[in-house]
Amino acid sequence: MSAEREMRMSTGYFASARAMEGDRRGFVERLLDGRAKYLVGAACIALCTVMLLPLLASVLASLKSTAEAAAVPPTYFPHGLSLDSYHRLWNFQAGLLTYLGNSAGAALLTILFCLGLTIPAGYALGRFPVPGKEFFFLVLLLGLIIPYQALLTPLFFLFVQLKLHNSLVGLAIVHTAIQLPFSIYIMRNAFEAVPRELEEAAVIDGCNSWQVLVRVFLPAIVPAIITVSLFAFITSWNEFLAALVIMNKDTSFTLPLILAAARQQTSIGGTDWGMLQAGITISVIPCIAFYLLLQKYYVAGFLNGAVK
Amino acid sequence: MNIQPQMARHGRERDVHHVEMRGVNKRFGEFTAIHDLDLSVGKGEFCALLGPSGCGKSTILRMIAGLEAVNSGSVFISGVNVTRMHPAKRHIAMVFQSYALYPHLTVRQNIAFSLSVAGASREVQAKRADEIAGLLQLGHLMDRKPAQLSGGQRQRVAIGRALVREPEVFLFDEPLSNLDAMLRVQMRIELAKLHKTLGATMIYVTHDQVEAMTLADRIVVLDRGVVAQVGAPLELYAKPANKFVASFIGAPTMNFLAITPTAYAGRAVTLAFDSASASASPGLTVQARNVPDASSPPTEIGIRPEHIAITNPSDRRAQISGTVQLVERLGNLTIVYLSTAAGQIVAEGSGELDVKVDENVGLVIDTARTHLFGTDGAAL
Ligand SMILES: Nc1ncnc2c1ncn2[C@@H]1O[C@H](COP(=O)(O)OP(=O)(O)OP(=O)(O)O)[C@@H](O)[C@H]1O
Ligand SMILES: [Mg+2]
Repeated sequence: MSAEREMRMSTGYFASARAMEGDRRGFVERLLDGRAKYLVGAACIALCTVMLLPLLASVLASLKSTAEAAAVPPTYFPHGLSLDSYHRLWNFQAGLLTYLGNSAGAALLTILFCLGLTIPAGYALGRFPVPGKEFFFLVLLLGLIIPYQALLTPLFFLFVQLKLHNSLVGLAIVHTAIQLPFSIYIMRNAFEAVPRELEEAAVIDGCNSWQVLVRVFLPAIVPAIITVSLFAFITSWNEFLAALVIMNKDTSFTLPLILAAARQQTSIGGTDWGMLQAGITISVIPCIAFYLLLQKYYVAGFLNGAVK
Repeated sequence: MNIQPQMARHGRERDVHHVEMRGVNKRFGEFTAIHDLDLSVGKGEFCALLGPSGCGKSTILRMIAGLEAVNSGSVFISGVNVTRMHPAKRHIAMVFQSYALYPHLTVRQNIAFSLSVAGASREVQAKRADEIAGLLQLGHLMDRKPAQLSGGQRQRVAIGRALVREPEVFLFDEPLSNLDAMLRVQMRIELAKLHKTLGATMIYVTHDQVEAMTLADRIVVLDRGVVAQVGAPLELYAKPANKFVASFIGAPTMNFLAITPTAYAGRAVTLAFDSASASASPGLTVQARNVPDASSPPTEIGIRPEHIAITNPSDRRAQISGTVQLVERLGNLTIVYLSTAAGQIVAEGSGELDVKVDENVGLVIDTARTHLFGTDGAAL
């Protein structure tokens, strides 16, 4: 008796599974069918061109000789490759390595602070019955609507008092504050997306809250951790205004400050275009590299929970 | 492998119920999910919690596990009040419907997870995991991640993870519902074997009556947070306590027809079908379970499809006749949907049953196996 019923149920089950497979042949595939795919391809190429051309122009300009870089009207392609610009950048003021080091240090600290703050916050907001947590969450997100630039002057005086100016820690604190609302949002989503049963299984297996976090949640939210780190890195690496206000010794500058300073570096006080482009090229490399390397994770980090 | 040290530990408590819930209430906000539940499960018993979706099966299981707090009442395991005890200290293990395997760990690490949390050495972990793997035929999969396993293999790993804790009580929450029909039957048999080997107490949640009937020593049927009936599988089938259990157990579902009793003689009740045109049909005399009380007369009769035989209309044993509307042939049996003077009836016959749609047939009701229900749905 039971066997027939199950046979009947199984045919129904398989039929519906097949139907679902049909539907799953998603939007993208259908879009790429037939003539539409040429249109989509063309749109992609156009978009990439618009985005990549300025970058390409920068890279090419950085490879021009000093004279050619300053030529009016400018040339599109360098007539001869030259590393002059890079050479000048290398020896600029305290030396490129100092500035790369400062930028990397601030970015690293920003990542650490961001993760250190948002992992516990995301865990609490996502998994614990904190009273009024929606309110806290909103307050934390409110940071997004206050432009940090408006707070820079008082911040500067505060940092001077706390001896945090001209310090990478101080700069990283500002960068963390800028990045925090977005990071908390990502983290909370990631924690909420972990199935409840996984947590419960770990609790039954004897984990306390801390062990559940370390042994179950952290491995499950790796994409979110990478997303938050990546964006913290990029924010900190590119941030200009806070760095300008807080860092005012030439040994404590970060890359964006050097790029700005490069504008008055030719003998007659004009912009050294070649060196500027070399600086841009160098500062863009890590951003692109990390993006490409970690693409898989940060896409997952965004989709995780966001598209529930 | 030695899986029952608890037998020795709690041997002296044989007389207490192994798992017991007393007067348990569970509310979610305004909604009462579990209402004054009393439940006891004996040592080594395989107890199934059976009921439709949303009746509170998982909630009960989660309260036993300690994953859900009770609002009032208490939970006892081996005579110890565990109502406020941490899940890990209750000597239970749970297998989830979604398996809940740790996706970043290998099968070996999944199975050994609780040992690792408890700080066991790597050698001990590996040794215990391998023992369990042997028992569940997982040996060749030990280094795979859960994503690289089939549904049935994942299920076995989940069971392995429960086994390694040597629990006194296994809690299963619809462990087979994510498997396809064939595998479900196979895993069902494996679970039955496992229960035999371990002799551990198992509480098994399911909405599938076939699983409950085949696996359980005892079934607890739940209806909207209240126990509808507790009994052995065949007891529930033969003597449902109320209309809910009668309709839930058995497939195709029992036929329910409105009736009015016309005469009583001891436990025998003569009745007429309420349906307007039923005046044509002769009275039917059936046996009530107890001598009926005229103040609460039966209002409905329940007849299982398998207790209605189909014959030709001239058969003198036929109590009513009907017209065939639909025939479902399943090979070894035939399900016939009929329209009769008493209403719509489903009957079940042999696989070779010779009936055609629109044919007129006679129906022989096995009057010794009918069920009478009062207005409140209780069996009479
Ligand atoms: N966390 C919760 N908050 C609010 N209501 C809940 C919660 N958990 C369960 N419920 C409600 O309690 C009732 C019982 O739920 P439960 O999960 O125990 O049902 P079930 O019998 O296991 O059903 P299924 O067979 O679908 O798993 C349901 O009506 C459900 O909506
Ligand atoms: Mg459930």
